[in-house]
Amino acid sequence: MNRMKLKHMLAMALLALATLGQAAEALSKDKMVELLKGIDIRVRSSGDYKALVYLESREKDKPDIAQEAIVYRRDVDEKLMILFTKPKTQAGTGYLRIDRNLWYYDPTVGKWERRTDRERIAGTDSRREDFDQSKLAEQYEPSFGGEEKLGNFKVWVLNLKVKDGVDVAYPIVKFWIDEDTGNDLKRQDFALSGRLMRTSYVPKWQKLYSESKKAELWYRQEIRIYDEIDKANSTLVIIKSVDLNPLPENIFTKAWLEAKSR
Amino acid sequence: MFQLFLIAYRNLLQHSRRSLLLGGAIAGVTALLVFLNCLSSGVKATMLDSALTVATGHINVSGFYKVTAGQSAPLVTDYKKIEDIVVKTLPDLDFVAPRGRGWARLVSDQGSMQVGMAGVDIAHEPRLPKVLKLIDGKLEDLAKPGSVLIFENQAKKLKVKVGDSMVFSVLTPRGTNNTVDVRVVGIAEDMGLLSSFNVFVPDVTLRSLYQLAEGSTGALLVYIKNMKDIPKDIDLLDKALRAAGYSVMDRESKAFWMKMQAINREDWTGQKLDLTNWEDEISYISWTLKAIDGIALVLTLVLLVIIAIGIMNSMWIAIRERTREIGTLRAIGMQKTRVMAMFVIEAFCLGAIGTAAGVLLGCLGAAGLNVLHLHVPEGAQFFLMSTTLKFAFEPARILGAAAVITLCTTVISMIPSLKAASLEPVTAMSHIG
Repeated sequence: MNRMKLKHMLAMALLALATLGQAAEALSKDKMVELLKGIDIRVRSSGDYKALVYLESREKDKPDIAQEAIVYRRDVDEKLMILFTKPKTQAGTGYLRIDRNLWYYDPTVGKWERRTDRERIAGTDSRREDFDQSKLAEQYEPSFGGEEKLGNFKVWVLNLKVKDGVDVAYPIVKFWIDEDTGNDLKRQDFALSGRLMRTSYVPKWQKLYSESKKAELWYRQEIRIYDEIDKANSTLVIIKSVDLNPLPENIFTKAWLEAKSR
Repeated sequence: MFQLFLIAYRNLLQHSRRSLLLGGAIAGVTALLVFLNCLSSGVKATMLDSALTVATGHINVSGFYKVTAGQSAPLVTDYKKIEDIVVKTLPDLDFVAPRGRGWARLVSDQGSMQVGMAGVDIAHEPRLPKVLKLIDGKLEDLAKPGSVLIFENQAKKLKVKVGDSMVFSVLTPRGTNNTVDVRVVGIAEDMGLLSSFNVFVPDVTLRSLYQLAEGSTGALLVYIKNMKDIPKDIDLLDKALRAAGYSVMDRESKAFWMKMQAINREDWTGQKLDLTNWEDEISYISWTLKAIDGIALVLTLVLLVIIAIGIMNSMWIAIRERTREIGTLRAIGMQKTRVMAMFVIEAFCLGAIGTAAGVLLGCLGAAGLNVLHLHVPEGAQFFLMSTTLKFAFEPARILGAAAVITLCTTVISMIPSLKAASLEPVTAMSHIG
């Protein structure tokens, strides 16, 4: 009987120690915000940004669609433009963000349509946020989700909840951040109802020196997005090249994008 | 007059071969026209039936709500007040049904599709139980939150049956992703094209999905007792709503979703109401009806020209053959007008008998195909609004078509008849050949 009691007490003590250990490793709120700010700063470009992006989407019972686009960014002014160049049928279509509105241009009809800032890009599972600067610290409230191993990487898991009054595509996000680099390696996006909508993996990060920033600019070179509702759908985003040279001054205009399709 | 009819009848019998050929041609054209008319009427009937069930009332009091200038949602806020105005304004009102409107991705374990959502309060939908034919499940179960009623074709595509679960995925008016799990409570028989991309859900489910307030809906579907009163009733509603202080949009014959882009470009916020009729809401598909009518008209015109030439030619031959007879009749005192009437009546008889046969043939053909319930290939379903070939019979339209063809054959025969009547008796009697 005594032995049993001793075993029980030992188990309880071990459990208490384990809980204490975990609590000790839990990140403080400040540290989590710092991590998110770190990502935001790392991917932010203080000068102009131009990237050649390859998009490949897979849908059940449909042929795979490969597209190529050029993403133009001027983060200081919150400007963004995505111009599709391939395939031929898509060439000339584009998205342009003016203030808080995302505009879509279809050269076949020659019309601009106002779209929500948070909708899917070109029918793929990717969103505008996947190509734009990051505002994680500004938009989300983090809470600690634990420490895990993601393949060979030791990661912190952060649960993000959207702040009041902020409009985002996904109000709940789970983030896996590499403890060594501070880069996010995996992300799960949830709907308002709490249902998992998509899981993205970032197997490759790249960096290059930015003259205007006087520091390194990081970008997710490869993003693999899996639709968790329509399980057979997935999207691959590859950033083939990044150019940080200044862009023409008048580039973020409807006229410029229209001219590109002529 | 009876004598003239008798002469005409006997002449037609005497030249039975020629009469059969010409009468057959007239019958063929009439049959084709009747057949196309029945098809057009069938498409219209299916379109009206499915539209009034799935997408629209006779009149719709819908509207758009804009939180910001750039983002609109098809919403009518505080709809109870508007419903009261409708009830007080329309003398021939049958009933009013509030319907939520949405566009969502519907996902099953086996597939997914984009669908229009109609949020219904089944207790306020007296029409639905009458027109929806359920293959499986119960319509009453649509009162339970988290349920969905789909159509046969959708069930096949999504590979689901009653009791299976699915997920609706949408973007709320604020652009946030949201989902709701639903269970299939009923599968209804297809009702044409509109039923291929529309489903029914309880209004509470739609509201929770879009995060909408209790008193808002997509549109008030207004059903009246006499469809002929639609234009008059819309005017009455327009005046009443404006008088009550509502901002009402200018009339535009487009479905609500086709207006959203233009509305997003306009710089206003808040609520604006929009009055439409059932034809406006399905204007994007009613062109098919115009196309069928157009094809029927062109075909009929072409065939009428051919028949007219045939009739004229035949009459010329008849006049040539009967020149001496005309001369004799004129010599014994027959008036010119009666000679002319003799030939015109002959053409009229031929036309009347031919079109009567054509109407019979066309109606029989349409009725026969109706009974067979022939399945329409998927490509043609868009054009014909139905999954099976459907014909409807509108007596006025059919008789009108027959009358037009008979009239044409009669009128065209007047030219050779006039020539026959103007022959001099002496010349006619001495005619050889």
